[in-house]
Amino acid sequence: MSPVESDEEDLTRKQRREQARAERKAMEEAEAAGAARRTRLTQLGVVAAVVVVVVVVILVATGGGSKSAAPKVGSTTANKAAQTVNALVAGIPQKGNVLGSPTAPVTLQYFGDLECPICKDFTLGALPTVIQKWVRPGKLKIEYRSLETATREPETFKLQQIAALAAGNQSKMWNFIELFYHEQGEESSGYVTEKYLQGLAQQVPGLSLASWTTDRNSATFANQVASDAQAANNAGFTGTPSFLLGKTGSTPSKFEFSSLTDASSLNAAMEKLLG
Amino acid sequence: MSARALRITLLVLAVIGLGIASYLTYVHYAGIKPACTAGESCTKVQTSIYSKLAGVPVALIGLLGYIGIVGSLLVPQGETTRLATMSFTVVGFGFSAYLTYRELFSIHAICEWCASSAGIMTILMCLSVWRFLRGDDPSLGTGPAHLGQNAGHESSATLPGAY
Repeated sequence: MSPVESDEEDLTRKQRREQARAERKAMEEAEAAGAARRTRLTQLGVVAAVVVVVVVVILVATGGGSKSAAPKVGSTTANKAAQTVNALVAGIPQKGNVLGSPTAPVTLQYFGDLECPICKDFTLGALPTVIQKWVRPGKLKIEYRSLETATREPETFKLQQIAALAAGNQSKMWNFIELFYHEQGEESSGYVTEKYLQGLAQQVPGLSLASWTTDRNSATFANQVASDAQAANNAGFTGTPSFLLGKTGSTPSKFEFSSLTDASSLNAAMEKLLG
Repeated sequence: MSARALRITLLVLAVIGLGIASYLTYVHYAGIKPACTAGESCTKVQTSIYSKLAGVPVALIGLLGYIGIVGSLLVPQGETTRLATMSFTVVGFGFSAYLTYRELFSIHAICEWCASSAGIMTILMCLSVWRFLRGDDPSLGTGPAHLGQNAGHESSATLPGAY
């Protein structure tokens, strides 16, 4: 064997050794990388599983909407609500959907959905002050108009709104809607049933249930619901509560309460309008 | 995408999310209406019974979540911090998914602020899961976790097996 051949052989052996080492190293690295990836995937899986479990628990705990929170007629809550409402509107003229003197110089149109919780916050928050300060002294009248937002079923929306308007035929609509808001159930829980509406009607002092039941079939009220929706659409309203305010008889402008619980923005607007 | 670019992207998104959550938390406690192009939808969502979880405003929970994400991205990076970022965003995504479900099926209104936050959280989750699984491969010699001088733009972009 020539020295050159021996050198070549040595080189090849060396190369083979290096190659083997490199392969071993690559394999070890691949194994390590594989193990690390498996660990990471496990950690990701654990985190994701925990999150799924927690979300399901929250969903179950916060309710799928099976509870009916509406108070029973004759219960302490219902009686208290009836007392509050009577104290608020008693002695104030009512006609149809209007609360307040027919000759009041300013008119506020209140677009609401009886199942809307924000309308409830407003009705129980800022509205009593508005009624006491402006409606009772005859300076403002409020027209309640309907716009479907929170109520899931259009049929239910129509049913409850017509029930309110039918009470208006006996000049008791505001008692009915105030009671509705005071005793409002959990949103989308399906609490608005015939029994619930009857229960509210029974709490309105002096309401003839027989006439109310007959009036609920009147086409006039169904038309009124449709014309309210049209008016809301014309004004560009998509949410509730929404308001139009202006001098009685003139074209009203959009009005926004700065807070659901504070009437100061309306007070300022009223003072300006009454100038 | 280089580790540096990925971390910066995550950080920018998390800071935007932090801003949204801060605004919604402020709006909640100040009792004012959030600025909203879709009528009263935001107010409807913000004042619904689902705006609180066990008495804690969800906006505040979101704010804490974003603080966690930003915090985990600002500390020196390693396997643990990437796990932390990933965990925060997966939790955040789960929470956003729950809130979006409530908006669609319980409140029937979409709040654009909440939807933006949910979108940001979804991107954050995808990126941070990718980043976590991609890991730090020392054999490549790029040190993707080193955000300083060594994580060059050109290096990792051409690396094989970056995933």
